[in-house]
Amino acid sequence: MIVETVSRVMIPFIQLFALYVIVHGAGGPGGGFQGGVVFASSFILYVIAFGLAGGRKRFPESVNTLFSSLGLYIYGGIGLLAILFSKGMAQYLNYGFIPFTSHFEENRALGMDFVEMGIGITVMAIIASIFFDLAEKEEGKGEKENSWNGS
Amino acid sequence: MEWFLAKIFAKYNYWVFILLMLIGFYGIVAKENLIKKILGLNIFQTAIFLYFISLGAVKGGTAPIVDETIIQKGYIYTNPLPHVLILTAIVVSVATTAVALSLVIRMHREYGTIEESEIIEKSLREPPHGENSKPGT
Amino acid sequence: MRGIRALTLILIAFLCALFIYVAEDIPIFGDPEAATIKYVELFQIHAKDLESLEGGTLPHSLVRNLKDRGFPPIIRIEKIPHTEGQWNGYVEKEEPHYPKEEKYYFIKKEGTLWKVYRYAFVVRWIEKGLKETAVPNMVTYGLADYRGYDTLGETTVIFTAGVSVILLLRRKGRL
Repeated sequence: MIVETVSRVMIPFIQLFALYVIVHGAGGPGGGFQGGVVFASSFILYVIAFGLAGGRKRFPESVNTLFSSLGLYIYGGIGLLAILFSKGMAQYLNYGFIPFTSHFEENRALGMDFVEMGIGITVMAIIASIFFDLAEKEEGKGEKENSWNGS
Repeated sequence: MEWFLAKIFAKYNYWVFILLMLIGFYGIVAKENLIKKILGLNIFQTAIFLYFISLGAVKGGTAPIVDETIIQKGYIYTNPLPHVLILTAIVVSVATTAVALSLVIRMHREYGTIEESEIIEKSLREPPHGENSKPGT
Repeated sequence: MRGIRALTLILIAFLCALFIYVAEDIPIFGDPEAATIKYVELFQIHAKDLESLEGGTLPHSLVRNLKDRGFPPIIRIEKIPHTEGQWNGYVEKEEPHYPKEEKYYFIKKEGTLWKVYRYAFVVRWIEKGLKETAVPNMVTYGLADYRGYDTLGETTVIFTAGVSVILLLRRKGRL
């Protein structure tokens, strides 16, 4: 009862803090990996308070697989954009040649921000998926006895 | 007395690293329970990370975030290169622990126990049940 | 299991002895003059005509010494301001959109000896980082810009771990 009420209040703030850590990776401590793990811990708190079936209803499997590959697509896509926009003169991940703004240095900073967001999305989806898989219960004892006394 | 201070006290991060690493090593090799082996692996990896980051510390240095006011006062920064490499290594350690735990769950489903000696006995008595076992054994 | 425990203790004692034997080469904790953050000594020379460094020209014996020992050739020499007897040596480097030279050698005069050092690799990271990428955090631009390829492999590692946990633990009806 206490856990349910407290988690109902705290989960939006935990997610907001995770987004803050990802976006402010440039100006202070933080970054993609750290923010992704904090975001995934909000899902774990939801499962602890409301049960595994309730957690599965809120975060279904199709959304999980979509998010976990979206982050890698963003990362690889930004690298390919660098080759396309410089007409073959730059290397694979040289963010300076993508024309976001007109300065070379500010292009690098914006390319880095996009890449960190991609990393955060992937890490969040993968850690939530690992947790949901490791927490499944065994379905009945009959299956276990059949597999042991066979052959 | 000076020999003692110079050789042993000035490098205390090295002695802590040796202690943690040997504890983790003993846990991996000599314990029977599979979960204790995974715990030993984690302690081993944590010791290596702590030692590598402590190699890059500088006395009187601040956190590695560039700031104009700090440069004018003449401060020094700690070495940011070990931080970058260890960030990657931490994520590899998390991935390894996840796959190891899922393997332990699979072994528990197959044999019904997690002790290593009982698993060896049971697998020598009967071969494991799967698609590759020969018929009639 | 008694055999394995005894063997492990013997192995641990042997490893402990090995670590204690190596302990004198380990650097002191928190040294501000350590080789990883400042410079590494390469060699010393006794030549007499290096006095022409004060005028700003490249002396012949220095160039020949570097070429004989197999180090990259030096392009120009510049005196460090507000100091006595210390010079920076520059080396040519090919990079798109940036000046074509980089600070590589550090030359110091002590009495009659001339010592040649090489700067550590993080010096460029610390000094020129804010100017080249407009981001103040050293660890973030080290991970995502200078070492961006390693972070791509890193994301692939954690993606593969997630996929392999799914493959190991799903029962037949749900995959």
